Amino acid sequence: MNKLLIVFAILLLALPVIAQDDMDPCVLDPPMDATEVNFMGWAFPITEFFAAELEKCNEVDNLTVNVQLLDSASAEEQANLALAGGGDSPWALLHTTPARMVVLSGFDALLPLNDLVEQYREEYNLDDIPQPVWDAATIDGNIYGVPFMSNTMHLFYRTDIFEAHGIDVPTTYDEVMDACAALADEPSIDLPFTMNLHAGWAWEIEFMHFIRSFGGAFLDDETNMPTFNSDAGVAALTKMKEVVDACMGPEGLTYSIDDSEIGMETGTLAFVHIWASRAANMDDPEKSDYVGGIGFAGSPAPNPDSGILGGSAWIDAYSIAKRSGVDHDLVFRAIMETFDYEGQVGGAAHGAVVRTSVAEAGHGGRNLPAMAVSLGQGVGGSSLNPAAALVSTALGNWLPLVGSGDLSPEEALDSAAEEYIAEATAQGYIDG
Amino acid sequence: MNRRAFYMFMSPSLLVMLTLMVFPLITSIWLSMQYMTFRNINEPEFVGLANYIEVFEDLKFWNAFSFTMTYIAIAVPLQISSGFLIAVLLDQVSRRLRGIYIAAFLMPFIVVPVVGTLMVKQLFESGGIVAWAYREIIGSRFILTEQSVKSLIIIHALWAATPFPLIVFFAGLQTLPDELVEASMIDGATRLQQLRHIMIPHLRSLFVFIGLISIMDAYRVFDSVFVLTEQNPIYKAEVMMLYTFRTAMSVQRLGKANAMSVITVVMILVVLVPFLIRTYKEQTEER
Repeated sequence: MNKLLIVFAILLLALPVIAQDDMDPCVLDPPMDATEVNFMGWAFPITEFFAAELEKCNEVDNLTVNVQLLDSASAEEQANLALAGGGDSPWALLHTTPARMVVLSGFDALLPLNDLVEQYREEYNLDDIPQPVWDAATIDGNIYGVPFMSNTMHLFYRTDIFEAHGIDVPTTYDEVMDACAALADEPSIDLPFTMNLHAGWAWEIEFMHFIRSFGGAFLDDETNMPTFNSDAGVAALTKMKEVVDACMGPEGLTYSIDDSEIGMETGTLAFVHIWASRAANMDDPEKSDYVGGIGFAGSPAPNPDSGILGGSAWIDAYSIAKRSGVDHDLVFRAIMETFDYEGQVGGAAHGAVVRTSVAEAGHGGRNLPAMAVSLGQGVGGSSLNPAAALVSTALGNWLPLVGSGDLSPEEALDSAAEEYIAEATAQGYIDG
Repeated sequence: MNRRAFYMFMSPSLLVMLTLMVFPLITSIWLSMQYMTFRNINEPEFVGLANYIEVFEDLKFWNAFSFTMTYIAIAVPLQISSGFLIAVLLDQVSRRLRGIYIAAFLMPFIVVPVVGTLMVKQLFESGGIVAWAYREIIGSRFILTEQSVKSLIIIHALWAATPFPLIVFFAGLQTLPDELVEASMIDGATRLQQLRHIMIPHLRSLFVFIGLISIMDAYRVFDSVFVLTEQNPIYKAEVMMLYTFRTAMSVQRLGKANAMSVITVVMILVVLVPFLIRTYKEQTEER
């Protein structure tokens, strides 16, 4: 994972901004028979761009491409329901992350792409994608996805408000709280700061940032016993609660990712910790009132002593369903249509793409230096332990109750641990 | 009608009911006795009644049951009374205007439930017109809290489900004989007396019918709670259908979720059977 982070950081630091609309057509060889390629993923700016690229293949004779973009939780649920039984997949192509690859490959639902990658390595210049990025999509030697972007969280801030109040960009969450205090009387904003804590799963992601910065982890990977109910966990959750109380209050706890993005675009928030994939919209005049007026910086460090920043490393990938009745070669080549140089240059206007040549040519968003900081100095990727899904559910059920003041950090973590142990034992992850 | 003809006429309906209702219910009962997750979905383990025992010992299930009952107790009477009241008022409106009013009141029926819930939610979010009015009048921002989210769920239920009693009551009022109303007016009955002694008795069977349907509908509320709470436990507004869904999809306990579904069906029957028996008796007595 460290290699992956270093490569990302190097790629992302090579940058100025060139937003370029990609007009290259789909040049697939038409299939012999009428073929439908169904794709399911989840929506944010770069995935919407690539989905539109994929839909260009509808111009190819005998080929229909159907795109279904949901929210990430719904996409996960749909895929679990459809693929767990081992039957044919309704989708030939799936949007995945490494954690999703673990689950879906566990259902034997994903096609190992090693042969196709090897076959098309030269034709599509797949060596242009750094090996650590491929490694992130590889489980037990099987490549289960073609990574198309990297993602992380970092700070977005209003430069005018920060200048007016003489606030330096925070590098720790203690400084975040100081900035919130300085902005308490700013009349033009509803709230000084939000991080995404509107739902259980959102708490779980931020908690992962905080606990790792404090030197903790969710699980003991040997025994699958929980380790989040530790001193590090309590310190992390206590710090999160302090940030909530100092900056967000009950209202801030209701801000979804969309709400925070819109808050920055409309000027009702001064700064947020949010997904990098939302940065492109900050400079879209149709969406933002502050084009060019939003600054980007790396995630703050939850624990200033460790210096580990509160941002994690994620990749998103295209995976091919093992059983969909659609020719795997055709689906792979359809992916490659979005993955050629022109497609990646177009995608770079919406997020961090993975082709080295695209980064070296200087294509990408204004936020890429901030991304590089969060990726390079952050907490790394999410756990690939199959039991991690149960941890997420348990933490999601209890952590929000700390924010609302119903439980102390210790009570919430102990309750989550108890719930996780019961379920993980029942499901065979922990020896009974 | 002889028995053979009776069965010939009944068989298509029976076949459809068996396929769409009885078979899934039997399957659900079978699944509820399995230990099944997405990982062992093809090789579930028979555990008898263990899932049921686990459900009955599950505090979260009872919390969800409790909020579902509260929701029914508040939402259903509100829907029925407001539907009846609007129907009575609509009955006083000139025929020309009725169409416009009915079309307006039926709007929530046309809108997809999830979209309707999102529309209601956006009214109360930052930038929404209700949130703006709240801020102007109260002087502080509208915040989603346990109380406000629960109130929104009830408000949404009122908005989304009132058209059903409204339209049924309105249709019922059209069957009210004019002579009865005119005679009561000659006898000096007030509007309130007409309502109490003529309209409500005339619509009594419709009240029972609407009550049954509304309770069933409220029992399986899902969309509005899913959208308004985003499954956040701080709102303490989990209903049975949502908890069943989360048990299946998040915790991946498919057998336990099926046990919850079966329990839900049984609970609905417990509530509805007395109503059904009473309605049946009334109908047979009227014949």
